[in-house]
Amino acid sequence: MVNNVGELELELLCVIVNFGVGSKVVKIAKKSGITGGTIFLGRGTVNSRILKWLDLDDMRKEIVLMVGEKAEIYSAFKTIAGELALHKPHHGIAFTIPVKDLIGSCRYKKVKEGRGGEDPMYDAIITIVDRGKGEDVVEAATKAGSKGATIMHGRGSGIHETSKLFAMEIEPEKEIVLILSEEKLTEAITDSIREELKIEEPGRGIMFVVKVSKTYGLIR
Amino acid sequence: MSVFLEKLHEVLLSVVPITIIVLILNFTLTPLETPVLIRFLLGAVLIIIGLAIFLFGVDIGITPIGTLMGSSLTKTNKYWIVGLVGLFLGFIINIAEPDIHILAGQVDSVTGGSIPKFSILLVVSIGIAVMFALGLLRIVYNFPLYRFLSLSYLLIFGLAFFTSPEFLAIAFDASGATTGALTVPFMLAIALGVSNLKKDSKASEKDSFGLVGIASAGAIISVMLMSISSRPDKLTGSMEYKLPQESSIFRPFIEKLPTVVGEIVLALLPIALLFLLFNFVSFKLSKRAFRKILKGLLYTFIGLVLFLLGVNAGFMDVGGIVGYKLALLENKAFLILIGFSLGLVTILAEPAVYVLTHQIEDVTGGYVPRKLVLLALSIGVGFSVALSMLRIIIPEIKLWHYLLPGYIIAISMMYVVPKLFIGMAFDSGGVASGPMTATFVLAFAQGAAQAIEGAHVMIDGFGVIAMVAMTPLIALQALGLIFKVKARKEGVDANGQ
Repeated sequence: MVNNVGELELELLCVIVNFGVGSKVVKIAKKSGITGGTIFLGRGTVNSRILKWLDLDDMRKEIVLMVGEKAEIYSAFKTIAGELALHKPHHGIAFTIPVKDLIGSCRYKKVKEGRGGEDPMYDAIITIVDRGKGEDVVEAATKAGSKGATIMHGRGSGIHETSKLFAMEIEPEKEIVLILSEEKLTEAITDSIREELKIEEPGRGIMFVVKVSKTYGLIR
Repeated sequence: MSVFLEKLHEVLLSVVPITIIVLILNFTLTPLETPVLIRFLLGAVLIIIGLAIFLFGVDIGITPIGTLMGSSLTKTNKYWIVGLVGLFLGFIINIAEPDIHILAGQVDSVTGGSIPKFSILLVVSIGIAVMFALGLLRIVYNFPLYRFLSLSYLLIFGLAFFTSPEFLAIAFDASGATTGALTVPFMLAIALGVSNLKKDSKASEKDSFGLVGIASAGAIISVMLMSISSRPDKLTGSMEYKLPQESSIFRPFIEKLPTVVGEIVLALLPIALLFLLFNFVSFKLSKRAFRKILKGLLYTFIGLVLFLLGVNAGFMDVGGIVGYKLALLENKAFLILIGFSLGLVTILAEPAVYVLTHQIEDVTGGYVPRKLVLLALSIGVGFSVALSMLRIIIPEIKLWHYLLPGYIIAISMMYVVPKLFIGMAFDSGGVASGPMTATFVLAFAQGAAQAIEGAHVMIDGFGVIAMVAMTPLIALQALGLIFKVKARKEGVDANGQ
């Protein structure tokens, strides 16, 4: 089961759906072989003039993040799009982003080797850990030279967390830490987080890096 | 319109169960007269529409005001400001709460006027305000909630020794009666606003809850102190419960409208004025955001008027009649059984329950699902009504036979359950005893007490709310225990390759 990240193509699947559907998305994805997912809450707006006038255009949304091997993600992507009828309006949106590096998953062991030849200036490091550990991630990242981080609050379940309560799956609380870093710092930051949080041990969390082609507002 | 339909759907699911149970009863055990039944159905429609509008209003009006106030208070970074403004806020929003006026009126009448209504109003509001301010300070000082609550209830137990049994029931009732449909969302939002600013996300999460529970304890303490200091003679008033004899369909709705509107204007006014004041002094919102909040307040007003109108004119009579007729039946098991199922479904239609469960979902990112919280609450309230019925049937059972062990269990559970659930549980106690239970379930109990010889309408009636306010403490903490056991990671060690 141990694969090499350098040879595999990994993708991040991001699905934005109405409140309450997030857990269903993860469930469908798990059937397609994805090992886990993280859900967090967001707000979206509806396009309706009447509702806008009434100021009732706010809607609660759920954003689902899942990482996996390209083929698996694409098959999950298709099943989700089919089962939730995403082609219809108001059913949600989904997209995938290529992932450069993945740490903390038992199935894909980390190999230090980037993918592809392009050279973007920046990386986005996304770390998902148990609730309350987000601060530690930020601290570890700052030690390695990161300028800042954003913590989001969500819930999710990996392969280690599959308990049920009256047919309802329990999805423990998570924190999602988003760090934008210069590419040359990425390695130092991920190493620091890895060491501080021992993320490679099972059940400690997951971290992945995606390429970012443009950033604004980052101060050097 | 999907947003509105979605909300309507959610609300429908919460009001339909109680309607169905009453309809079933109508065709089986307790046939209702046609006008009463039509009024009940009309009331159900009003409640559904009203609740949906009210919840929108809370979402875009009350909650933002509360969170803004909470966070701007904390940002001042001065303890004395938090304490002082907390005191002021707690006092002003509670003295305007309609439930507290009703409670004060009842106490005034049952004590034969030895404690005037106005002084009760003042004392209880001050009691709640003091505890409210202390509750806010607790959050900023990082004083653990379970210790704070343990101390408060220790004080309550101490005072209970000196309080007459009749007043004991009133005091514990006060805890539920004073936290109404408007004050609860507002207090919840303020707590959220204050605790949001905490850097430690875990503490911030669990501190979002608990403030309502603390304020409820304030109400209990102040009523007890009042009874000890004034030492009223034996309670003189004998509240008679009259079975409603109204044959007109629309008249009750029209008659109740002015009082309902008046009550809500009074309750909403302080919040609106405070918002204008705070906006001028510290928020300085953009025009669009400002207008949105004002609209929210308007929705809150319309929704609450419709809701209360439906409850007071449509549901209350039915509650009394059903209770009375059931109690007359030979087999008393029916009363207990149906009391249980009524408790089970009434709580679903309680407005503040919505607000609390949604806030729980938001704060925990969906980790604690609404449905489970509702389930726990339902079961808790079901038991509380069933136990109350048992107490009405068997006069030897006194209220404190339930309350004392109940609170001891609730307080000892605090030391084992996950901290997050403590605040939720104690908040839900105040939340569960809102306008729906305070009218429908209370009328049900009073109707039953009227029919059974040896039952005392006043004493037995008073105790019901106290029970409804207590059982959720245990039910939700039990849910917390289950979560604690279930949420452990599985196979981490086995897979440690």
